[in-house]
Amino acid sequence: MTLPRRVPLSAALRYRGGGPMWAWILHRISGLSMIIFVALHVLAGFGIQQLGSDWAIWYNTLYESLAFQLFIYFCVIFHAVNGLRIIILDTWPALIKFQREFIWLEWAIVLPVYALTAWIMIQNSLGG
Amino acid sequence: MQVTLKIFRYNPETDKKPHYETYTVEAEPTDRVLDLLEKVKGEQDGTLTFRRSCAHGVCGSDAMRINGVNRLACKVLVQDLGTNRITVEPLLGLPTIKDLVVDMEPFFEHYRSVKPYFINNDPPPKKERLQSPEERARFDDTTKCILCGACTTSCPSFWLDDQYVGPAAIVNAHRFIFDSRDQGAEERLKILADQFGVFRCHTIFNCTLACPREIQITRAIGEVRKAIATGRLD
Repeated sequence: MTLPRRVPLSAALRYRGGGPMWAWILHRISGLSMIIFVALHVLAGFGIQQLGSDWAIWYNTLYESLAFQLFIYFCVIFHAVNGLRIIILDTWPALIKFQREFIWLEWAIVLPVYALTAWIMIQNSLGG
Repeated sequence: MQVTLKIFRYNPETDKKPHYETYTVEAEPTDRVLDLLEKVKGEQDGTLTFRRSCAHGVCGSDAMRINGVNRLACKVLVQDLGTNRITVEPLLGLPTIKDLVVDMEPFFEHYRSVKPYFINNDPPPKKERLQSPEERARFDDTTKCILCGACTTSCPSFWLDDQYVGPAAIVNAHRFIFDSRDQGAEERLKILADQFGVFRCHTIFNCTLACPREIQITRAIGEVRKAIATGRLD
C-alpha cells in the first residue's frame, strides 16, 4: 500500500531551507509568543485586581523578570522588522532578486537595536 | 573515495513502516548522486527503486531530498555536498509509492487546475502570432519549468495543506498569464485568487532555493499576486 502523505514536524524542521525558512519559523514563534503574552497579561491584571489569585501574582512576577522581558522584546523587534521585510518584498516583487541582501539587512537592524536595548535593560535591572 | 549512502526504503509489499538502509560505494568527487544510486541498484541491491529518465537535468524525474534539501539527483555532484555521508529521501508532502518514488498525481492535479495551456479564441492568423522581444521576455523565466516538483514539495504551506496549488502550478500559470498572445489571464487569476491560491504563499523562499532551473519562483508568485490585487498585467 502507498505510504500516505504525512509531513511530521521533525521532518519539516530537518528540511534545510536556510535563512528565509528560519526567519519564517521565528516569525511564527514570535507572533504566537506575543499573542500569549498579551492574553496572559490581560488575564493576570484581571486576576490580581478582581480575584487576588496566586496564579495571577505568579504570572506577574514571571513577566516582570529580566529573562522574560528580554525574550518578549526580541519577539517584538524581530517580528516587526521581519514583517516589514515581507511587506516590502510582497509589494514590490521586482526587489525579490535582492532577497538574500534583505535577510542580511534585517539582521543588521535587529541585532544592534536588540543588543543596545538589552544592554540598557540589563544595566537598569542590575542598578535597580 | 568511499561514500556512505543512507537511503529511505519502503516496500509496500513487505514493509509496514519505512526504514533507512546504509550502503558504502566507491565514488569519484565528480560522480553525481544519481550515479551512486545506479551503483547501489546495479551492484548491491536491485530492489532499490527510484525514478530517472534523461539523467541530464531536463526531464525532472529524479527530484528527491538529498542531505535534507530538494535536488535533482542527476545535477548534484558528490564534491558539491562537502561530505562523504549522503542521506537520500523521497520528496516531502506527497504519498510514497516505493522507496524514493512518490505519487505525483496530486501535484499534476494542481498543475492542470490553472489551465497551463494557450488560450486564444480569435481565428488563427495566416502566419504566426507576432510578439515583440520585450513581450516574450516578460514570461521567459517561467518557461524553464520542468515540473520536477522540487519547489512545491519544499513549500511549508504545501506541507501544511495539500489543497494549496503550490509554486509549480503558479509558475506555469504565470507563463501564460503574462503572455501577450494569451486571452485566459482573467480566468487563471480568478482560480489563483481562491483561498488555496497565491495568497497561501508566505514568502518563505524554499521554492526558489530548491528550483534546479533557478527560476525566480517567489518573484513569479509575487507578480501574480500583484496582478490579482491591481487588476493590471504590467
